[in-house]
Amino acid sequence: MSPSDVNRRTTAAETRPLQREGDDTAASYQAVARAVTSNEALVGRVLRSPQTSLLIAILIFMGIVASKSPVFLTRLNLINIGRNGVFVFIIAVAATFVLVSGGLDLSVGSVFAVGSIASAYLLVHGANVVFAILGGVGLGIAAGLINGVVIVYWKIPPLITTLGMLYVCRGLVNVVTGGNQLAPLPNSFTNLGQGSLWGVPFLIYYGLIVGLIGHIVLEYTPLGYNVRAIGGNRMAARASGIKVDAITISLYVLSGALAAFAGLLMSARLSSGQPSVGDALELQVISAVIIGGTSLFGGIGSIKGTLLGAAMLAILANGLVLMSVNPLWQNVIVGTVLVLAVGLDRLRRTRMWRTDG
Amino acid sequence: MTAPSLEREPSLRATSVSKSFGHVQALKDVSLEAYPGEVLALVGDNGAGKSTLVKVLAGVIRPDSGELAIGGERLTFHGPRDAHAAGIATVFQDLALVEVLDVATNMFLGRTPHRGPFVDKRGMYNRAADILVDLKIRVPSVRVPVGLLSGGQRQGVAIARPVLQGGTIFIMDEPTAALGVRETAQVLEIIAELRARGKAVIVISHDLEVVFEVADRVQVMRLGRRAGVRRTIDTDRSEIVSLITGTISADVAE
Repeated sequence: MSPSDVNRRTTAAETRPLQREGDDTAASYQAVARAVTSNEALVGRVLRSPQTSLLIAILIFMGIVASKSPVFLTRLNLINIGRNGVFVFIIAVAATFVLVSGGLDLSVGSVFAVGSIASAYLLVHGANVVFAILGGVGLGIAAGLINGVVIVYWKIPPLITTLGMLYVCRGLVNVVTGGNQLAPLPNSFTNLGQGSLWGVPFLIYYGLIVGLIGHIVLEYTPLGYNVRAIGGNRMAARASGIKVDAITISLYVLSGALAAFAGLLMSARLSSGQPSVGDALELQVISAVIIGGTSLFGGIGSIKGTLLGAAMLAILANGLVLMSVNPLWQNVIVGTVLVLAVGLDRLRRTRMWRTDG
Repeated sequence: MTAPSLEREPSLRATSVSKSFGHVQALKDVSLEAYPGEVLALVGDNGAGKSTLVKVLAGVIRPDSGELAIGGERLTFHGPRDAHAAGIATVFQDLALVEVLDVATNMFLGRTPHRGPFVDKRGMYNRAADILVDLKIRVPSVRVPVGLLSGGQRQGVAIARPVLQGGTIFIMDEPTAALGVRETAQVLEIIAELRARGKAVIVISHDLEVVFEVADRVQVMRLGRRAGVRRTIDTDRSEIVSLITGTISADVAE
């Protein structure tokens, strides 16, 4: 069982009793195990796994849209959903790590714009594609490094630090571009965001690769375990010799790097650098992660969940358009889904830990 | 009276340790011996120097003077890591467990076993279960999140962790504080289990009932000094209380 599976209630079959038969205290431990399983019945199966309930919600919504729009389930439209959602997903993979470690990165939308504009700026000024990519990602790494160092060594809360970085990066983007778009970009670059392989856009492959690596690291490597330990109890993690500061800083660096990488992919897709890209993107990213069952309080979360969360947002956006719902309603619906998801998370935690989050 | 009855080398020997904070002398020439397969209780009123002494032993505080020896070898601790490397395991009151992670993961916190780049989950769960069974620490399963365990079970997990990491000297700060009767009994059983395995155990406790139940010897601290050491079979509560409060004068300083 991976640590993320603590989301799942412990079932009777899993609670292999370690106590000896006939032990006078055995009954009380059985009682503990039973209390957990009866809780499960009480709260209902819906709460058992946030991923399962989310998947069901997505499928129901897809069913509704499909019944109203014949276009929805076409291959082209599904690819379209993936291509739209992949930007949020790539950043959300890093955001999952940050949130599981008990942190928060609000600057990703602006860092996304930095990656987008920096690569476009370099290309417009004659740099080659490799250098433009390295430049864009490099600035994202720099932003993440500053975030991490300020949070760890100046002890400024992540919310404040990354909010500051959000303003600084957006400001820099506007200063450098003067609000104008940067174009044209060479085909060798735009192909990264527009090309496809076997009928599937490159963009979707990038998302799959980033997601798969993130999933493996979080669930199966000592680093992933340490990230969870840091988010679950920072003091305990430190006391156990986990390099809390170094890991925390690297997670913000990862967040900056992936945000900038996604940003330059957006330039490639749009064939231009647009100063306004990524505006409020951080809210979508955090929403996707939270809807996917990652806890704002650290320690709990998974890439699988984040994939579903990002899919939910992308499918919602697409489906509402196809059903001719006024697009202005979309934010209302996303906001409601988000609060419901966090409400479920809180309920789950209080039921499970008998603590107030 | 301070001489141990057994002619053995102590696992841990502190000799004439002194420590001042500003002009407050927290420890004055305090010595302590912990023997393998023995439980030593450290008692005393608040401010008697128990905590400072334990912090010296755990490498958290460097003494102004005095010596530490482990297994007869003199050592200087520059930090908790040194003490840990020497086999000293400190189980503090706050336990330092991660509630959202399961029992086995907590036991291997910071030392997750791995094969190549990946966590060796099967090995981790098996070894954790083996150690818990061996120490007769009863938890519903090694896969249960620690947040679901009772206080006594958590204490058990916190104690099992250093056993897993090869600790030989266990220092426990109030291991039964805030535990119910049944849970206290459970923790005392675990301590007895450590003793049976030849570990040296030092228990700080205010609860003399606990002390007399689990300890082989009692060291009384008073005003930064060692007021006396008694074998529990040779003494009673009233003598210990008198030593703590000072109505019996301390043994002649050695």
